[in-house]
Amino acid sequence: MRVVGQIWTMTAKDLILTARSRHSFLTTLFFGLLILVIFNFAFQPGVEATRLSLPGILWVALLFPGIIQLNNSFQREQEQGTLQAILLSPVDRGALFLSKCLSNWIFLICIDMFILLAFTLLFNLRVTPRFFMIVPIILVASAGFTAVGTLFAAMVVSLRAREVVFPVLLFSIIIPIILAAVSATQELLLREQLEYLGNWIQILVAFDVIFLSAGFLVFEYVVVE
Amino acid sequence: MPERLPSVLELFRITHNYGSVTALNGIDLALHRGEFCALLGSNGAGKTTLLKILANLVRPTEGTINWQDKFPERHQIGYVSHRSMLYEELTGLENLLFFAGLYGLDLPIQRADQLCDQFGLSDSKVYKVAGYSRGMRQRLTLARALLHEPKVLLLDEPFTGLDQHGYRALTTILKNLKSQQRTVMMATHNLQKGFELGSRMLILDSGRLVYDVERETISMGELEAAYFGNIRQEVAG
Repeated sequence: MRVVGQIWTMTAKDLILTARSRHSFLTTLFFGLLILVIFNFAFQPGVEATRLSLPGILWVALLFPGIIQLNNSFQREQEQGTLQAILLSPVDRGALFLSKCLSNWIFLICIDMFILLAFTLLFNLRVTPRFFMIVPIILVASAGFTAVGTLFAAMVVSLRAREVVFPVLLFSIIIPIILAAVSATQELLLREQLEYLGNWIQILVAFDVIFLSAGFLVFEYVVVE
Repeated sequence: MPERLPSVLELFRITHNYGSVTALNGIDLALHRGEFCALLGSNGAGKTTLLKILANLVRPTEGTINWQDKFPERHQIGYVSHRSMLYEELTGLENLLFFAGLYGLDLPIQRADQLCDQFGLSDSKVYKVAGYSRGMRQRLTLARALLHEPKVLLLDEPFTGLDQHGYRALTTILKNLKSQQRTVMMATHNLQKGFELGSRMLILDSGRLVYDVERETISMGELEAAYFGNIRQEVAG
């Protein structure tokens, strides 16, 4: 119960800070929308090749902007010394990891919903009840992406070359998430039968559980010098 | 020489390496209740590393720290560095309430208000820290460090960047802390300030504890001689 309280206290603080410094939200959203606009110009709407590329386009626009938020999530704490202040307190290090994951996840989900809306409008997609099944895929895939990203962001926060190292590390580990998320989206957008959708979601959930558990257990060794 | 109160913690053979560089080399030290230790030394002597090890922010490469109390050590330590360690986008009060939540205090609002009153921040507590002066930030940092009433307070260059008013205000606050039977260890470059506030003088040089005396047994001149003498010997040796 104490850990839950600590997670909530730290998550609430992160959400308040994000709400007060709106620039990070707007910058991340703008980056995602820009990716969609570029793809929209590059691929002609209504053409079969474009239709086949839609799942990939969507996931590039959903995942790439997340790098900005994840990379910044510990940087601000490190610069202001507040990470040390939190580590001085009797907070469970695993609780710190989970709170960062939760606040990053909420942030990315908000961004993702705007991007999904823009994706639907720009590529002229029909909004059917089946289309909304994409939302749970985004929720589950973002959780794994956030778990890995939060763990690596904490690992590289003291490195001088973190802007370069972080995306390379992150994307090399989340390949299974990208493959599963794109495949699940292909099922929804391109196929008549939802034959393997359940399997892809199971893979995403398994990945979430593994990385959230691993992060919770090893975070102590990541943040203490 | 005054009789020392029981020790709060003891360090045995503490060594810490950053790669091939030895920051601390076999430190043996006992801190006693109510002691105000001035930790003196030049840049790179190992003062900050020693404080971070005491604060549990850095694991020593070798050696052990024994706390006399079985209470978890993070409840017993307050830490102030020359950085404010505060959230700029939160108000002073919100900062205190956030950290009070992490320490699980029973009456966080009352405690935060009490500290704001004590450190002269009652009028400014509702404003964002981003608008605070350096002196106000440092007072709020001290308030944060004292929220959970720690037995041991660690201060790392707390006077850095303060103007004369901030300097005087912080000196008064630290003098008041001396009367509370709290163990304080303050790392500083300022011999005068260390001598004025401290009850025990420690000098670190190249990771070794080279001087450890009670303040009452020496004069300022003797401290200066010991400081420059020890460091010169160490460099020459």
